[in-house]
Amino acid sequence: MDPARRLALFEQTVLPHLNAAYNLARWLTRNAHDAEDMTQEAYLRAFRSFDTFQGEDGRAWLLAVVRNTCFTWLRKRGNQPVEEFDEQMHGAPDESPDAESALINRAALGSLQECLEALPLEFREAIILRELEELSYKEISEIAHVPVGTVMSRLARARKRLQECLAGALS
Amino acid sequence: MNCETARVLRETNDPALAQHLLSCPSCIMQTHARYYEAPPGLEQRIRQSLIQESLRDEALPQRAPTASQWRWLAIAASLLLVASTAWNVAMLRSRVDPERLLAGNVLSAHVRSLAGTHLLDVPSSDQHTVKPWFDGKTDFAPDVKFLEGFPLLGGRLEYIEGHPAAALIYGRDKHTINLFTWPSAASTAEATQTLNGYHLQNWSSNGMTFWAVSDLNEAELRQFVSLYRQK
Repeated sequence: MDPARRLALFEQTVLPHLNAAYNLARWLTRNAHDAEDMTQEAYLRAFRSFDTFQGEDGRAWLLAVVRNTCFTWLRKRGNQPVEEFDEQMHGAPDESPDAESALINRAALGSLQECLEALPLEFREAIILRELEELSYKEISEIAHVPVGTVMSRLARARKRLQECLAGALS
Repeated sequence: MNCETARVLRETNDPALAQHLLSCPSCIMQTHARYYEAPPGLEQRIRQSLIQESLRDEALPQRAPTASQWRWLAIAASLLLVASTAWNVAMLRSRVDPERLLAGNVLSAHVRSLAGTHLLDVPSSDQHTVKPWFDGKTDFAPDVKFLEGFPLLGGRLEYIEGHPAAALIYGRDKHTINLFTWPSAASTAEATQTLNGYHLQNWSSNGMTFWAVSDLNEAELRQFVSLYRQK
């Protein structure tokens, strides 16, 4: 493909998903500056390997590149991937109804941000892709290079942890 | 409560909302988790780096064209040559005729004078009032004539193609005739044309150019011109 046409096609199919790319990078790196670098780097990588794009969903394809770019960078910085850890170690959430109705304000909801950022990287990735990008389990499994079953268990754990963290923030 | 209701109530302090959100992490994510939009300028920076990358690709040594590709290139080049020659010839032929351009300007001046309130600088039916009025305003003295059947209404100073021109205004029933005149070295034969339903007649004589314009019918305009030229 000649370079001009390749660029035009890339701009049509991949560039429109900039917000999704940035959002994922922002949640994975947890800061704006790195997210911007990662997004830019990911776009360059995506462009170089654009020949492998088969004309399927440009967003999912781009998100896979963003994800890999971020993970490579985070690991280089010593961010170890989590083990599929033992849930028993973590206490059950405080389910007192009083605490629940006390939530009810934005201050408590503000802790959603902290709780999400506190999630292990793989869990965070799964829940962001599922709830914010509304990708299917299968798409997430392809992006994260893990079986669908692992995606489901990561999601379940991510949600549980989130719930615990929010309840903890309220008590 | 379901996620839909929670979405509606998301800005409220409804206790049921809190209850639901706490019990449904998926829902709290969808209603309250932040979706980060790309900062302004990022798209531009990415576009630029893509263009650079693309130019780098282009600069990479390409395979030399094969014999058949050379043939196609030659055919394409000759087609291009033919097309551009034809285009140039067409442009030369259709080049705007300066006379026609002038006619357009004259017509504009005529229409402008009727559309606004500025038809007459010196309203007078007396040629001996109108003619001296131009003294000091133009470096020429227009020939203001009394014409039977075409009452003089007055005069006006005009600018046609950047030069001052005298406009003499005559009437015919309810029609208005603008007779523009200015000094010009060009000597043109009398000609008549119709533009946008207006009739224009121009000629030159004694170093002056004349343009008569009106919505009057062509025959009457001819009559007006011949009367003027006879006198």
